[in-house]
Amino acid sequence: MIRSERLRRGASSLMYAVCVTFALSIIIILAFITAYLVSIGFSSLTTEFFTEIPTGDINNPGGMKHAILGTLTLLGMASVVGIPLGVLVGVYLSEYAADRWLPGPVRFIADVLAGVPSIVVGILGYELIVVPMGRFSGYAGAFALAFIMIPIVARTTEEMLRLVPHSYREASMGLGATKSQTILRVILPSATGSIVTGVMLAMARIAGETAPLLFTALGSRLMPDDAGQPFPSLTVQIYTYAVGPYEAQRKLAWAGMLVLIAILFLLNLLIRFLTSRSIRRA
Amino acid sequence: MQRTSTTPTPDAVHDEPVSPQSLRASSGSLGDTLLSLCARGSAILVILMLAALLIVVFVQAWPSIRSSGLSFLTSSEWRANSLERPVLGPDGKIVFKDGEMLTETVPPTFGALPVIYGTAVSSVLALVVAVPFSFGTALFLIRVAPKWKISTPVSFLVEFLAAIPSIAFGIWGLFVLAPFLAQHVEPAIKTVLGPVPGLGWLFFETVELGGETVTREIPLTGRDLFCGSLVLAIMVIPIITAVSRDVLRAVPRAQIEGTIALGATWWQSCWSMLHYSRSGLFGAVMLGLARAAGETMAVTMVIGNNMQIRASPFLPAQTMSSLMANEFAEASDAGHRAALLNVALILLLMSLFFNIIARWLVVGGKSRSSMAH
Repeated sequence: MIRSERLRRGASSLMYAVCVTFALSIIIILAFITAYLVSIGFSSLTTEFFTEIPTGDINNPGGMKHAILGTLTLLGMASVVGIPLGVLVGVYLSEYAADRWLPGPVRFIADVLAGVPSIVVGILGYELIVVPMGRFSGYAGAFALAFIMIPIVARTTEEMLRLVPHSYREASMGLGATKSQTILRVILPSATGSIVTGVMLAMARIAGETAPLLFTALGSRLMPDDAGQPFPSLTVQIYTYAVGPYEAQRKLAWAGMLVLIAILFLLNLLIRFLTSRSIRRA
Repeated sequence: MQRTSTTPTPDAVHDEPVSPQSLRASSGSLGDTLLSLCARGSAILVILMLAALLIVVFVQAWPSIRSSGLSFLTSSEWRANSLERPVLGPDGKIVFKDGEMLTETVPPTFGALPVIYGTAVSSVLALVVAVPFSFGTALFLIRVAPKWKISTPVSFLVEFLAAIPSIAFGIWGLFVLAPFLAQHVEPAIKTVLGPVPGLGWLFFETVELGGETVTREIPLTGRDLFCGSLVLAIMVIPIITAVSRDVLRAVPRAQIEGTIALGATWWQSCWSMLHYSRSGLFGAVMLGLARAAGETMAVTMVIGNNMQIRASPFLPAQTMSSLMANEFAEASDAGHRAALLNVALILLLMSLFFNIIARWLVVGGKSRSSMAH
């Protein structure tokens, strides 16, 4: 009896230690990776990185100004399409939930779409836009990114709208507002903060995507002037330089990685800030 | 146009009994109609998106499905170019005719078994590493960290790392992890496991070389299936941890207090939590599996990209997504492209399958936004 009791307590202490060790080692490994990316990125970062475009000279490869602008442009183009559509789907799922057969399947499909491998989305962009247009283009890249964005924005918008108290809807209706007035003037404004959070979450996700751009925007060494042409982006440029054989280009890839992670980190902080503010207000 | 009275206007009177729903619809303004049209239209668009994905990939893959059928899944030879080789006579010797070597042209052949094998083995190895670490960290976050007041910073780190792009893990794996594995870890594993009888296949392979069979040592390069699995494990740990933390948090407090009141030790009460939320935890693993199987960039950079099935994890391999990343842009031949789309179709269906299972288990009918990554 006493032996089994000691065994029981010993096993518990052992598993406690195992859990703590696992958690600490994960934290250390992940912190080490981040620290490594940041430190080597800083040592490779120069002012030319932000001001120049690729020179073609392998010893003095220039900068990634074109890629930074390209990623921002692609994000903008994907958002112009993806955010309104995503928010509309979210509004539908939350406010038109009384519809008979559509909401359930749509919610299910949005969840499933959010898990589709992004390279398959890239292939869809290739078949639907690159092949008919006859060339790789920024439009195809933006299409693939918007495709990834819509389900994420839709599901987070739905969650946020469901948090709006039901009394708001009843009060608005009771005052004689129509359904569209209720949605547009009462429900959406009171959830704006948290919808912005969801939107930024989706933007952070697509800013780091590489695979869907490989066969759509392709990448380019020129400034992103024409979205009908192959279009540069940070991630594809980093990939091209990283798998290439030249040391100077690899350094640029590390610097690009740092800039990308910095952008994502700022987005993440902003999301945290907005979330905590909207929770405090609610 | 606003409603002024709750009495139904004459044109709103139908044969059916008047419900509040139909009342609202009949008295709706142009704005109402417009908004509901837009909302319903965009909802239908979501369905069309999935349909487009399935239809386009299926139609483009059809030539390959028709020509190779199910043997596409079982054939292990993948050759994108036609091959010219000398004709061998019945005696196994090269046939000469009029003093010239007779040659035959072998058409390109496509079999997906190597990439299915690569995807399955790398994902499973990644999960074997990732799951204990993730569950341990999730338990730590729920049962240990609150006491030390470090739950929030650790959660923040885990969530931030879930948002780090895969190419960052790829570039780190390629330049840091792979050389480290090649120089330190893999030789160490070899010294320990090498002499063990029955494990020789890990470090030696038998190849046909110029007609004779030789056994040779595998060069440890670091860019292999093992490295790909490790990078995948590091990438799915934040996701499995975040989801299983949410699942464990949903365990009712009474359940935990009950076990402790019955005299359970710390681990026994944790075990009852794990047992209580087992289906949600399995869903978390499925989400990790879906992510690992569809992951492209990081794997492409470290797995070595070799289209052969070979037993040792210390040899280069290829996964479905890395095959597409490597070959799709250069595939000019229609047959080659259809075969790649066929692989994409398998990948798509597989990820749909895992995601649907995960959604059923984790969400269980209710909706939760943490699923959307």
